[in-house]
Amino acid sequence: MSALAAAATGANAMFKRDFAIFVSYRGRLLMRLTTGFVSVALFYYISRLVSVRPFVSPDDYFAFVVVGIAITEVVISVLGTLPARIGQELYTGTFERLVVSPLGPVTGLVSMTMFPLLLAYLTAITSIAFAVIVFGMPLHWETVPLAIPAALLASVAFIPFAVFVGAAMMIFKQAASLGGLITTGLSFVAGFLFPIALLPAWIRWTSEVQPFTPAVELLRKLLVDTPMTQPAAIAVLKLLGFAVVLFPLAVLALKSAIRYAQQKGTVTEY
Amino acid sequence: MTHAAQVEPPEVVRLPDAGGAILSAFGVTKRWRRNQAPILDGLDFELPRGSLIGLQGANGAGKTTFLRILAGLFLPDSGSVSLDGLDPVRQRRAYQRRLGFVAAGQGALYARISVKGHLEYWARLALLPPGDRRTAVELALGQFDLLPLAGNRVDRLSTGQRQRVRLAMGFLHGPDVVLLDEPGNSLDEAGLDRLHSVIDDFRGSGKTVLWCGPSVRNLGLELDALHELVDGKLVRL
Repeated sequence: MSALAAAATGANAMFKRDFAIFVSYRGRLLMRLTTGFVSVALFYYISRLVSVRPFVSPDDYFAFVVVGIAITEVVISVLGTLPARIGQELYTGTFERLVVSPLGPVTGLVSMTMFPLLLAYLTAITSIAFAVIVFGMPLHWETVPLAIPAALLASVAFIPFAVFVGAAMMIFKQAASLGGLITTGLSFVAGFLFPIALLPAWIRWTSEVQPFTPAVELLRKLLVDTPMTQPAAIAVLKLLGFAVVLFPLAVLALKSAIRYAQQKGTVTEY
Repeated sequence: MTHAAQVEPPEVVRLPDAGGAILSAFGVTKRWRRNQAPILDGLDFELPRGSLIGLQGANGAGKTTFLRILAGLFLPDSGSVSLDGLDPVRQRRAYQRRLGFVAAGQGALYARISVKGHLEYWARLALLPPGDRRTAVELALGQFDLLPLAGNRVDRLSTGQRQRVRLAMGFLHGPDVVLLDEPGNSLDEAGLDRLHSVIDDFRGSGKTVLWCGPSVRNLGLELDALHELVDGKLVRL
């Protein structure tokens, strides 16, 4: 079996397993979607208070922030779920089964990001749909279909961050707070909830050295036609660059972390 | 001093001259702390093809550590392990395809997934071809008398039933060697009979089993050899 076929089999195995666990908790999906709706509704009323540049109207800010909320959902899911899942796997002893499986722990762990990512996109889409249906948020329908490949590209650029946190988890066993810190930091510097132009100049460089800023800008442009601070092609190139550079590095870091844990005998500890 | 050391003088296991071993360990050493004696001290071990070998030792003697090294879960500080010439790191996938490992304890299961769901999950992790998965799962369900429980979530099973699920996962992918760490735990008489029967069939097809536990003298199975871990060394009884 080729490496690609093995990865597809692993992703399928993890997806089916995570789906079975998710649906075994009744009401979990409803709770999750409701949380998204409440966030959208909250920011709708906050947006009524906004009358600052660069937003022409409160509706502009509302559209801006709804896409930000949707991306935040994806980022929290990507960065938060994998370390938490590794922690659970170590605690229950299921991780060692992954290590001794022909699939292997690296492919297995990367595959574990699939279900949370798809669930996050489902939540994000329903939150945007809620904003459109209930609060009349206008979508830029001509470019909405392009948001799908853009979101996929963004995911490939985001996943390495989760894998890096997963590698830290393998060594330190407690890295969930690192994922939380990164998510909070990103929500500050990547322009999820407010334009990065409002940040002080000395910190604005942090908006340029990660893939989340171009991703959120690109998706805003495609979904609600918010003006970009850079050409869309540059944002796409940045996302591609981050994905191509970071993905192999993240996999290497995870592989090394697992090897370290196997050497130290901590691969079964939690 | 361990019980075994009192019973008879140990004979250090030597590498056999014949090349009939399927799983070999050479000079395996593992030390948990720098200033402590190694838990495994330069172990040489060979598992002859088609054999049932027992490995026993006192609590904390290092049996589980040794099995984990053989399984490729832990890496030794020095020494090497080989499965029919395959290295557990460099040829990880091929190594793991040919090895089954049932760890000690009751864990390594997902509480809210069914028995059949576990076996299907493992069949995918084992990278069985899609056409072979269903057959392998059905066979494993039958071998360990799990058919009536196939749809049950494992958190609703008894501990003995869960152990049968864990054992079924160890054999499901058709490995050549199975390493069993205290496999009889929580099994009732019928469960043990099932396990013995599976092992008999397994060996009948030329495959190999290493059964590990605190005492494996009276398993009810005819062992080809019995080894004991004593003070980091492997002795043949």
